[in-house]
Amino acid sequence: MTRKVCIIGGATTPFDYGPSGWENPENGAAECVREVQEDVPEFHLRDVDLMVYSHFSVHFAHQLAGEWIVHDHLGLVGLPHFRVENGGNTGGSALYAAALAIMSGHHDVVGIVGWETMDSVSQSQGSEFIAMASDIRYELLVGGIYPIYYAAMANKWMRENRVTEEDVAAIGAKNRNNAMDNPKAQWYRTEHRHITVDDVMGSKLIAYPIKKYDCCLMSRGVAFMVVCTEEYARKVNPDGYVTIDGIGLSSCTIRAGDRPNYPAWAERYGPGYPDMTEFGACRQSADFAYRMAGIDDPLHQIDFGEIHDAFSTSEAQIYKALYLTDTDGVAQFLRDGETELTGSIPMNPGGGLMGYGHPVGATGLMSAVEAYYQLCGMIPKKHLSKRTEVPDAGCGIVNSHAGTGTSISNFILRRCA
Amino acid sequence: MEDRPKPKFPAEGQVNLPTESAETGLEFTGYEISADGNYFNQFMHYDQLYRLRHGVNSRFFMELLNGRIFGTRCPRCGDSFVPPRTNCWRLDCRLQPTEWVEFPPTAKVHTWTVAGWSGRSSLKRLPLVLVYAFIGDSKVAIANELHGIEPWQAEFGMPLKVVFRNAGERVGAVTDFWFEPADGWRPPRMNAERKRIKALVEPVYAWVATMK
Ligand SMILES: [Zn+2]
Repeated sequence: MTRKVCIIGGATTPFDYGPSGWENPENGAAECVREVQEDVPEFHLRDVDLMVYSHFSVHFAHQLAGEWIVHDHLGLVGLPHFRVENGGNTGGSALYAAALAIMSGHHDVVGIVGWETMDSVSQSQGSEFIAMASDIRYELLVGGIYPIYYAAMANKWMRENRVTEEDVAAIGAKNRNNAMDNPKAQWYRTEHRHITVDDVMGSKLIAYPIKKYDCCLMSRGVAFMVVCTEEYARKVNPDGYVTIDGIGLSSCTIRAGDRPNYPAWAERYGPGYPDMTEFGACRQSADFAYRMAGIDDPLHQIDFGEIHDAFSTSEAQIYKALYLTDTDGVAQFLRDGETELTGSIPMNPGGGLMGYGHPVGATGLMSAVEAYYQLCGMIPKKHLSKRTEVPDAGCGIVNSHAGTGTSISNFILRRCA
Repeated sequence: MEDRPKPKFPAEGQVNLPTESAETGLEFTGYEISADGNYFNQFMHYDQLYRLRHGVNSRFFMELLNGRIFGTRCPRCGDSFVPPRTNCWRLDCRLQPTEWVEFPPTAKVHTWTVAGWSGRSSLKRLPLVLVYAFIGDSKVAIANELHGIEPWQAEFGMPLKVVFRNAGERVGAVTDFWFEPADGWRPPRMNAERKRIKALVEPVYAWVATMK
């Protein structure tokens, strides 16, 4: 029996783009640690025995091994550290690495710091940097950037699942409106308004069927969290920790066009899956996490999720990959607002990537930190009101997602018993 | 593992590379200060020339120069690939090296989208249609632009032909070719979805026209 993995605290800087006062990653990391020290006075950096850094692209900051600056700044010289990079799933993968470190018995208290500084170049240059995580030999510069690849996948998926532009636009509005209760969210700090499905439908074309308000935000931001043994959690935060009961990580092709006939997928889920429409790595990493956590009826056993809404379309595709609905049911599932705050399984009450923001290396950690707040009753303290609190939440799912679905992780978190 | 003869390339200065691609290196070029005097931003400039060495996939790029699509085929299971895979993807083929084969310049659309925004280098070509298409009997689809139609006319399953740039303009990259509708294809009739796409791309034409 491996050891239980717990989260005892976490925080993010405000996520933003352009001048914000939060330009400096190492100071942002320090402020996040200070916030956790206030929330959990018994926690001390001295107790940490491993640091995992979560950072995607050196292209943005133009600083190789930027984690060395952060680590040194936090006063942690001498402590073991390494950086995890796994595209948009960098945060989820860092959490996975930290969980493995605890489960192995080799480490007891692991700190994770994630960050990205995407506003150091123009938006169109930033899009092109991210496109360098496509296969540059065979895909780059044929007009393609990530939203375009996602749009091509979503166009076919929506047709085959009879999902309309309006159905997914509701997700774009939902996550931004959720973010209006969250003062650290980029949407709250920048555009700062409630929007409707019509606003999403009327926003400018990115790549059909995706419009501007179907897309996540490019961001600068930092996140920090503490992952540890249950023994340490009981010692420093006995009433305010969560357990990570299931972890899953899976992979798919870098080029989405290689999916329709991939032999390894046919062996797992039968011919024709995932095609270019479904997220096979999301389904498989959910299978791993569900099995470990004893989830066989996710819609009823999970109370909420903080998931990777890079696009409103991909959030809808993720619902299906997580077995919350199926081909016959997904359009109605969306129209019934099942993932609104009032629905049966609220998704992204913290705002998600479309509302809170998407500073890549910090994103998966942000999702985990929001889920931690929900499960520990901290939402009224961290958000502006109880509006975005999921009542009596006992179990949440955290999802982190890379490439065109190339690496995906899922985590099942439960409130301490 | 068999050794491979070491390739020899022309000396520097004789490579097929325009001189304006030269590196300029790192430079701090300027700064700005916030109105309250509390925050400082630096500007740094960096241009770097990369040499992407292709090794065993070289044939694909060289044949692009010749205006031909070459992919690979596994001699054990027969699966074929454009883009090429130089070892078979079936675990039971035990990483069997594949063989180069020429593919016909015909393809079929698997999925498509109409882009109104893109990376810095593609902005002036907007709006553009990007498709994933199967070339010949390839088991994998390749992404490329679809030219020669109005953006709202793209269709699932539509037949395509591969069209190359003029020989003198090719650089041995996937941008040397694009797709066009196969001869004999007729544009579909306007419907509600195509009207919607047309309405979405109209502002894109207007915006691109304002770009220098
Ligand atoms: Zn084979």
